[in-house]
Amino acid sequence: MAEDGTVVDVLRASTPGRSDAPEVVERALVEGVTTLRQEHDVTAIGVGAAGFVGLDGRVRFAPHVSWRDEPFAAKLTDRLGISVVVDNDANVTALAELRYGAAAGRREVLVLTLGTGIGGAVVMGGAVRRGAQGLAGEFGHLQVVPQGRLCPCGHRGCWEQYASGTALVRAAREAGAPEDVTGPEVTAAAGTGTSWAEAAFAEVGRWLGVGLAGLVAGLDPELVVIGGGLSAAGDLLLDPTRAALADRLPGRRYRTVPPVVVAACGPEAGMIGAATLARESMGQVGGTVGGSSA
Amino acid sequence: MGLTVGVDVGGTKIAAGVVDEKGQIVATSRRESPAMDSEAVEATIAELVRELKKEHAIEAVGVGAAGFVDVRRSTVLFAPNIAWRDEPLKAELERLTDLPVVVENDANAAAWGEFAFGGGKDFDDFLLVTVGTGVGGGIVLDGQLHRGAFGVAAEIGHLRVVPQGRPCGCGNLGCWEQYASGSALVRDARERVAAGSDDVANLLRRAGGRAEDLTGPIITEAAQDGDAVAVELLSEVGRWLGEGIASLTAVLDPAVVVIGGGVSEAGDLLLEPIRQHFRANLTARAYRPELEIRPAELGNKAGLIGAADLARQD
Repeated sequence: MAEDGTVVDVLRASTPGRSDAPEVVERALVEGVTTLRQEHDVTAIGVGAAGFVGLDGRVRFAPHVSWRDEPFAAKLTDRLGISVVVDNDANVTALAELRYGAAAGRREVLVLTLGTGIGGAVVMGGAVRRGAQGLAGEFGHLQVVPQGRLCPCGHRGCWEQYASGTALVRAAREAGAPEDVTGPEVTAAAGTGTSWAEAAFAEVGRWLGVGLAGLVAGLDPELVVIGGGLSAAGDLLLDPTRAALADRLPGRRYRTVPPVVVAACGPEAGMIGAATLARESMGQVGGTVGGSSA
Repeated sequence: MGLTVGVDVGGTKIAAGVVDEKGQIVATSRRESPAMDSEAVEATIAELVRELKKEHAIEAVGVGAAGFVDVRRSTVLFAPNIAWRDEPLKAELERLTDLPVVVENDANAAAWGEFAFGGGKDFDDFLLVTVGTGVGGGIVLDGQLHRGAFGVAAEIGHLRVVPQGRPCGCGNLGCWEQYASGSALVRDARERVAAGSDDVANLLRRAGGRAEDLTGPIITEAAQDGDAVAVELLSEVGRWLGEGIASLTAVLDPAVVVIGGGVSEAGDLLLEPIRQHFRANLTARAYRPELEIRPAELGNKAGLIGAADLARQD
């Protein structure tokens, strides 16, 4: 990525499986970066990873790859001889939206990425807040139903079991969709007025709005940005979401209900945000990137 | 800045105190609150400030008020227990006291007090959960009070924890504070009495035999004396608190959670169940350091001390 946020070159590869050793992912990344560096004068590297990323760039836990307390940033920095920063994928998505997208110029924002689960980021005072350990923004594991649906995290009733791409497919099936229906198919079917698809969006949108009402009560953002694969459904998802939020927000008559909008950086948001994080982290160790701190 | 005044505006009492820069209260004064008469409330606050000003070199005033306070910390948008609607409290009080005034939501003020001088003083990322009539709180991230875009952050008592659950005064069903507050504690106790359970005889005796006279402090006292039902009632509230705090920790990742409010006076009878159910419900617990859940240290003075310190910071 260039300084102005333009993506100059893109290289893609499939993520190695969960059963592969951490080194396999690391090797794939090093190879990709090495290829890109042959063509471009790269000064820093940012990585957005699905998982719990500590403030020190350690990946404490990743649901889809075999990292467990992996000192990823340090290892990559060592192998590539160039500064590498790592953050959670939703946090870097939020940074992209904050610098170049739907949240540009805003200070108090919640960013959610809806895919298999719910990723999230808390923007406060114009900066992505990572919490004490770097683990803030795990909105998907808010418990919304006591003894509810089982979540792969080991607990029950987590929000992402009710308001994610996975939940959409499940809701569509329960409303009569074919067993092998996919998320994009549900979206396409809803666009043409198929009743099971519309029912699925109504349900998932409502759960999204109900959960947001709690988060908005707790954090009082000026804006909510929805990204991730499911956000491609746009108003199909967000209309019921907005309705449920407006209906449930405590004190709604005496406060502003924040707008809920679709992310603007698209599927490359994570890439753009990670590169932005790398640029903004250059020359500093730790600390809060992109905002004032106390 | 040397001394400032912190004012805690409650539904029944208004307390004011002179506070130094170390968070120590130098002098206090209080009055009954004429809650339903907004002008009288302002006159009472001004009177308290003027009284303290006679004896102390006061430089600013911080007011903590229950309700939604706008982001410029000047207007009370809505107060549940006082007749304020879009009340320009800062301007009015500055006119009446001739001092700079900062207005803050009472829970935020209390959170700042606990963060700066109490249970959170060693940390940068902090969550206060206040367990009283309802559940309130305050959030500090990276050393900054999280006020939100409209100054109404940390209304954490209205997280929905049970779909189609108990009705809440806010108009929704299933809000956290309907399960994890002092009111919930008392209601649970009365429900057990109403259900004709034998094991509540001891508890009921403490309330003079009348279920409607059961209070949070009576239940806490009974629990401290070993009454099994009272212990169980507190641990049920603790369970709901622990589960909710696990959710909030997933969102905010604080380094410490401080439990304040009247019900927290039950100490470990409440804190231990909170800790136990927090641990049982925290996502990815194995991959994160355990945070501390501590009692508040400033008691009901946290709001006053916090408001005074926020006035100093301004």
